[in-house]
Formats: sequence, C-alpha cells, structure tokens
Amino acid sequence: MKSVQEAFTLILIALVCGGAAYFAHPLAPSFGLDELSITLEEAQFETEVFWIDARTDEDFDRGHLDGAILLNEEHWEDLLLDFLDRWPPSATVVVYCSSQACMRSHEVAERLREELGVEEIFALEGGWETLLEMGLAKEGEK
Amino acid sequence: MKLLSRIAYLALGATFIWAGVAKLIDPSAFLSSILTYEVFGYTFAVAASLFMPYLELCVGFSLATGFLRGGARWLAGGMTVVFLLLLIQAAVRGLDVDCGCFGSEAKASETGFLWPISRDVLMLAALFVAVICERCGRRKSEL
Repeated sequence: MKSVQEAFTLILIALVCGGAAYFAHPLAPSFGLDELSITLEEAQFETEVFWIDARTDEDFDRGHLDGAILLNEEHWEDLLLDFLDRWPPSATVVVYCSSQACMRSHEVAERLREELGVEEIFALEGGWETLLEMGLAKEGEK
Repeated sequence: MKLLSRIAYLALGATFIWAGVAKLIDPSAFLSSILTYEVFGYTFAVAASLFMPYLELCVGFSLATGFLRGGARWLAGGMTVVFLLLLIQAAVRGLDVDCGCFGSEAKASETGFLWPISRDVLMLAALFVAVICERCGRRKSEL
C-alpha cells in the first residue's frame, strides 16, 4: 500500500511539472495543432489547393509534389517571399512534411495562419508518405 | 548484496534521469518520436510528451536516492515493460520508428530494433537484481 501511495506521489509531481512545462517550455507542443490537420481526401475536395512542402531543402530537391513550393522554418524569411509571390489567396493552402509523425507541416501551417491572418491553411495527415502511397507523387519526381 | 543493490539502483536511476533530461529538452521532438509508433492519438501523444520526461526524472531520482523508492520501483518496471511492448509491436509491424528513448534518435531502419529492445530487457534485469539483492540484504540484517 505504501508503494502505491509513493507511486501516485511521483505521478502527481510529474503531472504538475508536465503541466507547468506546457505553459512555460518554449518547445512545448500544442494540443491545438491537431485542429490544423486535413486528410488527403478532404484536400482533394477543395476546388483549389496550393501545396507547400515543409521538409528540408534536401528532401525537397530529391522530390516534391508537382506545383508545391518549399517553405520551411530553417529559411523562413527567404522562402516566405517566394510563397507570397505565388500564393493565390483564393486557394486552400495545404502543407505537408515527411510522414504522419513529423510536426513541421503543423508548425508551418500554424505560423502562416498567424502571420497572414488566414484560416484556410492546413497540414496534410500522413504527409509525403501518404502522397507516395496514393500514387500522387514519386520519389525523385520534381 | 546491499552494495550490488545500491549499484543497480544507481545505474537505473542515472539511466532514467538521462532519458528524462534528453526528452524534456525538446518535447516536440519527443512528440514526433511517440507518433512514429502509430499507437497513440495526437492529444494523448502531446500529453505523454510533456508528462513522461518528468516522470522518468522523478523515478530516476527516487531510484538513485532511495526517496519514495517503493513507488519508483513499480513505475520503473511498468514503464520499461510498456516501452518494451511498444518496441516489439513496432518491430512486428515493420514500422520505421524513432525510438525516442533518449531524445530524438536515428530511425529503426538505420539502427534496427535489437539494441533498444536489449536495452529495455537489461533495465528490467537490473531492476530485478536490485530488488532481489535489497530483500536478501534486509533478511540478512534481520537475522
């Protein structure tokens, strides 16, 4: 019984610290990012989609979706200008990164929403892996 | 026996502290690692990415110092078994996971599953040794 109480004490301490980290840690993930997600099926229903590749420059050079432009946080200032030149404001913006597990697309989508004040910006669920699986892109395709 | 138990607890405690610190430096990277296992939903994964590093730190500190060690033993065993099961299911499903055990690491396609799984088995063995030696030491001192 004493061990159980001790275990709960440790869990409680970790919960308090984890809660504090959510508000105070500069790299803490956000619960809200999931609301940015869009599935490939949903994206395909949109009348006009402007694709953004949020992976690294090397991954983009290796292959990307036809028509997609590169925009990642490593070179945000430079790449944002290119994005603003080519972005049709009427289009739904869909950002993808490498896979279901990567968070780069969510971070780019959230930052774009904040900086442009536009809501129609989403992160693709499954990312590049899904585009490959569905045959919409090929490794090495540019 | 007591000395062996202390060494095992210290080693385990240091390992948990190391794992906790590596994760709490960048919780977003740890979140990405959790999602590669394709077991948890996003909301649960975010909560785990914030909570787990501190739980590992607390457990590590308790194992090493002896403070609240009774609870830490159960938590250390439980967490290691869960980590082990997660790795095994990922290996069976052929997922290219990033272990995330000690911060963001190379993907399984590069490192394989043998070392992370062996590491968890070793940790369970160390915990078993620590508990058994501790009990033997206690019995001896009672006699």
